[in-house]
Amino acid sequence: MAYRILIVDDSPAMRTFVRRILDLSGFEVSNCLQACNGLEALEILQREPIDAVLTDINMPVMDGEEFLRQIQNDERLRAVPIIVVSTDGTYNRIERLLALGARGYVIKPFRPETLRLELERTLEVRCD
Amino acid sequence: MTDDGIERVLAKSTGEVLEQMFFVRALNEPNPSPPATESQLVAEVSFEGQPSGRLGLRVNAAAARSIAADFLGEDECSLSEGQVGEVICELANIICGSVLSSVESETTFRLKSPRLLSMPEEFAAEGAVVHSVTLDRGVLGVAFSAEKPICPLAV
Repeated sequence: MAYRILIVDDSPAMRTFVRRILDLSGFEVSNCLQACNGLEALEILQREPIDAVLTDINMPVMDGEEFLRQIQNDERLRAVPIIVVSTDGTYNRIERLLALGARGYVIKPFRPETLRLELERTLEVRCD
Repeated sequence: MTDDGIERVLAKSTGEVLEQMFFVRALNEPNPSPPATESQLVAEVSFEGQPSGRLGLRVNAAAARSIAADFLGEDECSLSEGQVGEVICELANIICGSVLSSVESETTFRLKSPRLLSMPEEFAAEGAVVHSVTLDRGVLGVAFSAEKPICPLAV
């Protein structure tokens, strides 16, 4: 099965990298959409079916924390798994974002297989 | 934390970030210095928290282009100056985040957007701890400074 993934990051380079890493890791992606902040991501989620979101935290316009709050306040979007991909590996931050509804957390730097495994865990993909 | 302690954190973070996300391995050469004649890219990431501070990153142009190509999976020749600069900013951002994740703080650090600096001499603030590594195509240096002394996380 291939998945529809939304990458949210204000850095075009980082979005390109994550897309590339998904390919390198062997994770099957059928459609990969990109947004440069939380607001743009919400607009995409309103109109496109997405299986999982990979989001940064520090972004202009709407940051990752507010994006998570908005998702949790929207009954139609609440079920979409959100994985945070961030340089911030501090305990306080991880705890806060998981409490806000993040289903997964990947700390930069990460290896390609780390991202794949977190997606598989979050999406409950069975690896036979 | 001593300057030696900070440099160890800088060295570990820089090595891990380069290897895991930029597919670059630092060469084992002591006391590397940047090529004197080549232009340099300098990026800066400031952070707020307890304490606040900054991380500067300096890399020569050839190494920067090589790093950007590896990160983006593109041919070096196809990259614009803007793309190379953006990747170097991202590199500084990730190293800074990795370093801050390795030190004790009562608050969550907030990183500002990384930016390129036009003056190479602005690479290191006064009193900064500097760590440099040799790469295939040149030298990369990182300089870390904070308003107050920092301590590594107890593992």
